[in-house]
Amino acid sequence: MQVEFLKWFAWRSFAFTLVANQAVTPLIGLAVWSVAMPGQGVTSYYVAMLLVRLLTVSYENHTFSGRVYEGAVADDLLRPNAVVLAPLGENLAIRVWHIIIGLPVIVVLLLVVDVDLGTQNLAVAIPAVLVAAVLRFLYTWSLALSAFWTERAHSAVGFGSTLVFLLGGEAAPVYLLPDAIRPWAEALPFRAMSGFPAELAAGLVPPQAIAAGFIYQLLWTAVFAVTAAAVWRAGVRRYTAVGG
Amino acid sequence: MSMTTVAASNLAMTYRVPVRADGLKAALASMFHREYRTVDAVRSISFAVEPGEVVGFIGPNGAGKTTTLKMLSGVLHPTGGTAQVLGHTPWQRERAFLRQIAMIRGSRPMSGPAELTVLDALKFQELIYEVEPDQFRRNLAELTELLNLEPLLQRQVRALSLGEKMRAGLAWSLVYRPRVLFLDEPTLGLDVTATTMMRRFIADYSRETGATVLLTSHYMADVESLCRRIILIDKGALTYDGDLAGLSARLAPYKLLKVALTGPAPGDWDRYGTVMTANGSEVSLRVRREEVPAITARLLAELTVADLSVTEPPLESVIDQVYREGV
Repeated sequence: MQVEFLKWFAWRSFAFTLVANQAVTPLIGLAVWSVAMPGQGVTSYYVAMLLVRLLTVSYENHTFSGRVYEGAVADDLLRPNAVVLAPLGENLAIRVWHIIIGLPVIVVLLLVVDVDLGTQNLAVAIPAVLVAAVLRFLYTWSLALSAFWTERAHSAVGFGSTLVFLLGGEAAPVYLLPDAIRPWAEALPFRAMSGFPAELAAGLVPPQAIAAGFIYQLLWTAVFAVTAAAVWRAGVRRYTAVGG
Repeated sequence: MSMTTVAASNLAMTYRVPVRADGLKAALASMFHREYRTVDAVRSISFAVEPGEVVGFIGPNGAGKTTTLKMLSGVLHPTGGTAQVLGHTPWQRERAFLRQIAMIRGSRPMSGPAELTVLDALKFQELIYEVEPDQFRRNLAELTELLNLEPLLQRQVRALSLGEKMRAGLAWSLVYRPRVLFLDEPTLGLDVTATTMMRRFIADYSRETGATVLLTSHYMADVESLCRRIILIDKGALTYDGDLAGLSARLAPYKLLKVALTGPAPGDWDRYGTVMTANGSEVSLRVRREEVPAITARLLAELTVADLSVTEPPLESVIDQVYREGV
């Protein structure tokens, strides 16, 4: 991770644009929903959402898929360590840089809008953010591995991000969705990696629903861990059969 | 008795590539029924390499040289045959195996993180390959001196020139002292100075560490200066395994005799050999290899010879003949 942190130190100006990109959705959500549904905890929710996004960003379609296309994975396969460690280290380094650059934005928001993120809520949200960070990496990594089969891994990851945007609580908070859709959105993996930790931080999850949220998170994390391992094995089998 | 470093037995690699006819109709049809063609990149080749040997793989483009190196280094899983490198099956990519090999590609001389400085990249290798700190310092000092790395250590890899990248790449690949080196076109694109440095360095490294080197190159000067043994691969098949002189002898059954006379030249050089060039009292004759001793003796006995030399035909022309006509 230290190596990747240094690497992204060289790319720090690029990191500013990435953070700006990550901040746009929660800021728009904040502006729109705080007017449309005032007094529903939306302001706190979207500030927490921004924090969650910065802590869970995953760009494996850029970092790892690119190495597949360049043929650099052949170099990775020849190193005596698990190949996933480098993308994982880079993922963590990118998140640290996102927080370093994005923190001033959050501080400004805390000063200019009415935000209520209680200490107790934040304490409950921390484990949820950690699980969401793992889940988002496994999810993006699994989709980015499509680079072994297609040159359109960006599209695969882009589609996955769209699902998170629509059903994970970014376009609209899941707790504000119509009753017919909400149970589905709560059970799918997208809220687990995005909206659920933000809801917890904003104190919007009823106490009796907290355990279910964590169970969904852990369940989907296990599912994507198995999926990632299986897709990786199949991908390497294909790569070593065709030579990259 | 030392263990064979590389043992390949009937190693084969076959690819299935999708094909279709031209035009929209064929493109649409291929969405429902894809057709494939089988390409034999490597066809059942066998050879062994002993510790410390420097072996050159030569052959025309698409012959299967790089595919063979990729199979032996573990990047490719062959479709047939077996191979053992340092007692390991390469494509299982066991840690103990990977820690003892290095693959250097001329097309990508420095495979480390381009944003790091050269020194940070080398320290990254120390960590990944678990090199003891004292050993790392010694190796680094030695490589810094041999490759003149001092001016590069503080610079970012991405800002280096191709020649500098190759020097940094050599250090990056050798700082953990691999026992087997796979070099794929290592002098590709390098200038004369960098090429000479590269060749000298590889020869020194192999001699000093006892490392085994498998090298592919289209530059015969690389092969000639580094490899006592060559393996010729053509259309995926091994067509020659031996020394360069043997290949020349097999392919070009002639030698060139260059004669300079102090006295008058005879009118009938043809009784000694085929005249290739003649310039006053100097002549170049093509003579069959087995006749060289007898013709040389006759020239010395019958003429007033000032100078006489026997040379092999130029290697490039021999290899060109191999690529065009086969062995």
